[in-house]
Amino acid sequence: MTAPLVEMRHIHKRFGDVVALEDVHFELQAGEIHGLLGGNGAGKTTLMNILYGLYTADRGEIHVRGQRVLIHSPRDALHLGIGMVHQHFLQVAPFTVVENIALGTLPRLGGKKHVRAAADRIQALAQQFGLAVDPHAVVEDLPVGVRQRVEILKALYRGADVLILDEPTTNLTPQEVDALFQSLRAMVAQGLSVIFITHKIREVMAVCDRVTVLREGRNVFTRSRAETREEDLVRGMVGEQLDVQHSFLFSGRPQETEHTAGAPLIQVHDLTVLGDNNVPAVQGCTFTVREGEILGIAGVAGNGQTELAEALMGIRPIAQGEVTINGYRVRVGSTRHLLARDVAYIPEDRLEDGYLPAASVAHNLILGYHRRPPYSRGSFLDWPAVFQAAWRLIKEYNIRTAGPTEIAANLSGGNIQRLMLARAFAHPFRVLIAHNPTRGLDIPSTEFVYRKLLEARARGAAILLISEDLDELLLLCDRIGTLYRGQLMGILDRPAFDKYRIGEMMAGVAATQA
Amino acid sequence: MDAQLQVITFLRLVMITLVPYVLAAQGTMLGGRTGVFSVAQEGIMLVAASVGFLAAYYLGGLLYGVLAAMLVGGIVGLLLAYFTTTLKMDQFVIGLALFFATAGFSSLAYKVAIGVTLIPPLIPTLPDVPLPVLSQLPLVGDIFFRHNVFVYLAIVLSLVLYVLLYRTGIGLELRAVGESPLAADSLGVNVTLMRYVTTVVGGMLMGLAGVYLPMAYTGTFTEDIVRGRGWLSIALTFFGGWNPHFILLGAFFFAGVEVLAFRAQVTNVGIPYQFLLMLPYLATILVMIPGFRWARVPAFLGRNYDREKRAQV
Repeated sequence: MTAPLVEMRHIHKRFGDVVALEDVHFELQAGEIHGLLGGNGAGKTTLMNILYGLYTADRGEIHVRGQRVLIHSPRDALHLGIGMVHQHFLQVAPFTVVENIALGTLPRLGGKKHVRAAADRIQALAQQFGLAVDPHAVVEDLPVGVRQRVEILKALYRGADVLILDEPTTNLTPQEVDALFQSLRAMVAQGLSVIFITHKIREVMAVCDRVTVLREGRNVFTRSRAETREEDLVRGMVGEQLDVQHSFLFSGRPQETEHTAGAPLIQVHDLTVLGDNNVPAVQGCTFTVREGEILGIAGVAGNGQTELAEALMGIRPIAQGEVTINGYRVRVGSTRHLLARDVAYIPEDRLEDGYLPAASVAHNLILGYHRRPPYSRGSFLDWPAVFQAAWRLIKEYNIRTAGPTEIAANLSGGNIQRLMLARAFAHPFRVLIAHNPTRGLDIPSTEFVYRKLLEARARGAAILLISEDLDELLLLCDRIGTLYRGQLMGILDRPAFDKYRIGEMMAGVAATQA
Repeated sequence: MDAQLQVITFLRLVMITLVPYVLAAQGTMLGGRTGVFSVAQEGIMLVAASVGFLAAYYLGGLLYGVLAAMLVGGIVGLLLAYFTTTLKMDQFVIGLALFFATAGFSSLAYKVAIGVTLIPPLIPTLPDVPLPVLSQLPLVGDIFFRHNVFVYLAIVLSLVLYVLLYRTGIGLELRAVGESPLAADSLGVNVTLMRYVTTVVGGMLMGLAGVYLPMAYTGTFTEDIVRGRGWLSIALTFFGGWNPHFILLGAFFFAGVEVLAFRAQVTNVGIPYQFLLMLPYLATILVMIPGFRWARVPAFLGRNYDREKRAQV
């Protein structure tokens, strides 16, 4: 075997008390697409941020083309021909495409002429790799798929021959994913090497030549795809923590319902909701969720999902239309009444809307439910009961905390998510509105959430599951509606599920046209 | 006095008055464009006025005063950059601390050097430098082209900053740092250096704004010489949407209000002068109500960048 193009040896990295990487090895051969697979918190992104110079390793060596190198900043990495496309795009929103791409490469005092030359080069690169963009469009106006191409072009423009892609398929429609994979193949054919970070086994099998699996900051194995089975990857990602055989997540089998849906519990008629900029974010949506049913809402993030969820929960005013939940007519400010009527809510943005950072874990666990027994007797809180419940929930939901009195801000992101889930699931509900409930969770926790959702459905709850993860929706839902620019492009029943069809709807093709 | 002369005099005064606003606001804008929001303008202007005046007085040349003012403004800018960018401390707390420290130091330095005197020490004020040919033009010549060098400097500087920000590679990098330092950093732009340079140069401009006051108006230093112009320059920066050219335009408005307030005092319109002194601030509040809504502020303004801080997602 020839010397690897990139080799990382004995990499260690800690953030405060948290060990992110421990003695990790990684190597990339020239001309391959190398998958870097692992669940949330496995250390994939951290490892690659070290290679790209955004983080500095505590210990370990990096070799590029056989030479030991020290990478102190992205500038060093770029000089070595290493480019990285981050999951959260690192773009200057009000700048144009060409400005974003050429940033840092223009002559200090050079002017328009150089920008034009850059635009020409971008056009050429876009053509070469099948990454169509308009160089003069402003980035913040572009859809996610195009912004991703911009991000890739940024690396190619700098002559990178090692391209790191961090979860590049997040928020792409299935069609866009296919196009991306084609572009990657084109790049490899033209001499580039690609590191592909993902948590989706299917993507590894679809596009990678080799794969390295990480778990909890450690190497599990590195193999070529040809000699790897999906089960090995599953086992590698989750270890012994999960009964893979009985897992919903890895079964790939959709979860059929065995019942006929009952009375309508969520009724939305001709709903229009204004966004923060006073432009309608949700427009003329009509749908019903019945008891014992999960209705999924698919769509690329930012197409009105947040506004829809908030309007249904009485957090955001309803501009037009009617929402009735569990027999209750929703208005802005009815959140408290909804919670009292057995409606549970898992908000999208856990840091902003999901918890009180300065309050204790126990406070957070009963938040919104604190007016009812057993937490409250008359006007007074029953603290022994609250703490008893808090201890139980911390245990049951595996929330890593010093105890109920700890300040919630000390919790990590995944634990805050678990806290929110505990709050929603621990109290009986007939209606659940859940927005990206598994974001940032490790695999066993995701599995746990899926089980809880299906249990709730089995006992007759009506669930509105808004998610950016199409696979999750296809697995769990009875029907899937797709939001595009605030409009419902159509609702498909389970027999009609087709991810390419939904992909078209995510891109704005209505169900009837398709 | 006929009407035409009145108008010419008024506009001439506006041109002279807008200088400290323009310089201080452009300094604020420059630092803000890389994310460092200074609130020490008032203090920097005071200390630059004091130290600049003393340097000019003792060394016997206005140029010494100008250089001293830039030096002292630059030092305060450097401190601000160090505390915020290197030590990552809160920008407003540090800015206010620097304001109090510099404001205090300005009167201390003056008192230690000069002491208390009945007759204030004086330096010559800046001479007018009529521009060849242009100053001969009717009307326009009198209004725009017979001024001290600082007036020309303020205008030219604004135009240069506009070109720098919007027409050069370095300007693009600079704006990127103030919008998304992580994006800039990931493309090899030196975020720390950018923040230091703009904050120091911004401090120097504020220093120039300060030393202009004794050199153009009073010929001496008094403790109330800046009179809120530093604070108003922050408002002007927002009013100008953090753009050099709009800041220049906005400065005409701020200077116009100040001249009007001053004239109204002199002509004795029967309103207690304290109310007239409130005029610039009231006008500021009124124009800022729509102004704030319109202004597009650099996205990273007032925040500190730490590459290794893990995003809370």
